[in-house]
Amino acid sequence: MKNDHILITQNLRMEFDALVAVDNVSLKVRPNTIHSIIGPNGAGKTTFFNLLSGNLSPSAGRVFYKGRDITQLPLHRTAHLGIGRSFQITNIFPNLTVLENIRLACQALGRGNFRFWRSHKYFKEFEERAREVIQQVGLEKETLALARSLPHGGQRKLEFGIILAADPEVLLLDEPTAGMAAEQVPELIQLIRDVQKAGNKTVMLVEHNMNVVMSISNTITVMHQGQVLAEGTAAEIASNERVQSAYLGQLYGDLSGS
Amino acid sequence: MENTKENSFVRAIKSNQGLIITILCLIALPFVIALINGQSFSSLLANEPGQAKFYQGLIIEIFILAIYALSYDLLFGITGLLSFGHAMFFGVGAYLTGILLKSFGWTLLPILGVVAVAGVVMALIFSIVLPRVKGITFALVTLGIAQVFHIVIQSREMAKFAGAEIGLQGVTPPDFLNPISQRLRFYYFGLVAVFVVYLFYKRFVDSPTGHVCIAIRENEDRATMLGYNTFYYKLVALIISAITAALAGVMHGIFSPIIRPGITGSGFTIAALLMILMGGIGTLNGALIGAATFKLLSFLLEKWFGGASQVIVGLVYILLVLFLPYGIVGTWRLRRLQIKQGWTDLIGRFTGKGRAESS
Repeated sequence: MKNDHILITQNLRMEFDALVAVDNVSLKVRPNTIHSIIGPNGAGKTTFFNLLSGNLSPSAGRVFYKGRDITQLPLHRTAHLGIGRSFQITNIFPNLTVLENIRLACQALGRGNFRFWRSHKYFKEFEERAREVIQQVGLEKETLALARSLPHGGQRKLEFGIILAADPEVLLLDEPTAGMAAEQVPELIQLIRDVQKAGNKTVMLVEHNMNVVMSISNTITVMHQGQVLAEGTAAEIASNERVQSAYLGQLYGDLSGS
Repeated sequence: MENTKENSFVRAIKSNQGLIITILCLIALPFVIALINGQSFSSLLANEPGQAKFYQGLIIEIFILAIYALSYDLLFGITGLLSFGHAMFFGVGAYLTGILLKSFGWTLLPILGVVAVAGVVMALIFSIVLPRVKGITFALVTLGIAQVFHIVIQSREMAKFAGAEIGLQGVTPPDFLNPISQRLRFYYFGLVAVFVVYLFYKRFVDSPTGHVCIAIRENEDRATMLGYNTFYYKLVALIISAITAALAGVMHGIFSPIIRPGITGSGFTIAALLMILMGGIGTLNGALIGAATFKLLSFLLEKWFGGASQVIVGLVYILLVLFLPYGIVGTWRLRRLQIKQGWTDLIGRFTGKGRAESS
């Protein structure tokens, strides 16, 4: 039963003093799908992601990955299991080159990390893989540029590349298009789609751009005040009256009518 | 095949030009000093007293400081761990050497083994707090640990071995490395030691492990999320750094006539920080240049200004930080092209050629 779903949360709860950021969330994510989480600001989406990736330890509840309890796993272990995470605020190595950013991500899961008597150039496979990933995300021209010199959109691509480099099975993307120029968004979304299809990967997405969410998601979960308000396909969510009154209707206009 | 091998050899020499020239100069330096002072080579080789011998001593002290500065650069400049207790590593090396030579009559080889083990133990003590504290808190914890050692080494209870606040005197150095009768040999030994440590550090920074250390300095959270258990990388850097600093301490213990408790205090840690600040943080060359600048600066200023030199040293540091914020090597790397252009302009102005003419 559990193995039908790649990621399962059971009654997940996170309290920050008096504030309950995530309240009793039980969620099941099917493999090879794009599962989006939407909700107004402060709904607890990012906190929920932090619980999944291990950045935060929940006050109560459990997280299962492929049937294995990963609730208390140290942060650096989750990457080895195949979970990659991007952040709302770009999280890269700003003073290193694009190549080195991605090479480090490749090296993390490889061999020979403590062979300090060898040059890093001895481990060619990491650099080769890094160059592949750079091509995939379309940053070939900036390969040797410092990450901080990239425009914001480029940095978002780079962070996506860092996650891809480890070839994870589950990608947790927290607002990957945040702050990107509007004309760059479709490119990144297409990239996410391609990666998901080609690699049979599972993508979880937190996103505010409703057009993006509605067009690419297999499943959408709506969160509101830390709780799950509704779950379903794009069409179901768009026509859900509770969702409309609580969220979509106020903020984004009437979607079902369009 | 033969051809490509030779090419890579030539390339290796070309890319390390500066290093090779520096080493050749340092090999020739004692002879050059002797020439300038009108001393014959035979008296130089016989280690007869004189100006040449004095300057050899000064450079040996620079060698010792250079190794010490390198070890601090690995910790702070490469891995980003700010420690205020680094002098303890150096001090333990120096005092262990002095005490084991003087009070226990050990020979140098077992002392080196004991000091290396002591380096690992000290690194492990520092590492206890490593997973829990970061940044300035780690600095303060290391300061605390080092201050305890600083107080213990000056205590009356230890006076029999360590000589309390006066310092440890009357250590008999091993004959083959006697800083008085075999100073020239000590000089070349020091040069080789700096060279070996420098090459080892260069390789470390270039290795996969070193690259992760740099990643930890840049963004530790990201490194963790990539799947690196950052604790072990910081521990490796800490152990290597501690052993290196302790070995520099051994050289100091043999070379210096008095091992003073000052070398275990926070002031000597700050000295390491100043050296790499002046040379350029995170650049290994900078640690070497910083150590030389530090020693020569304090030596020359004291010679010229006597007691007032401390004030002037402070002023020079302020000026350096203001005008060379990335240190000597760091600023050079940033400004290399501009400096080159500036020289071309300057030469152009005098010779009436180049850019100055066209404008």
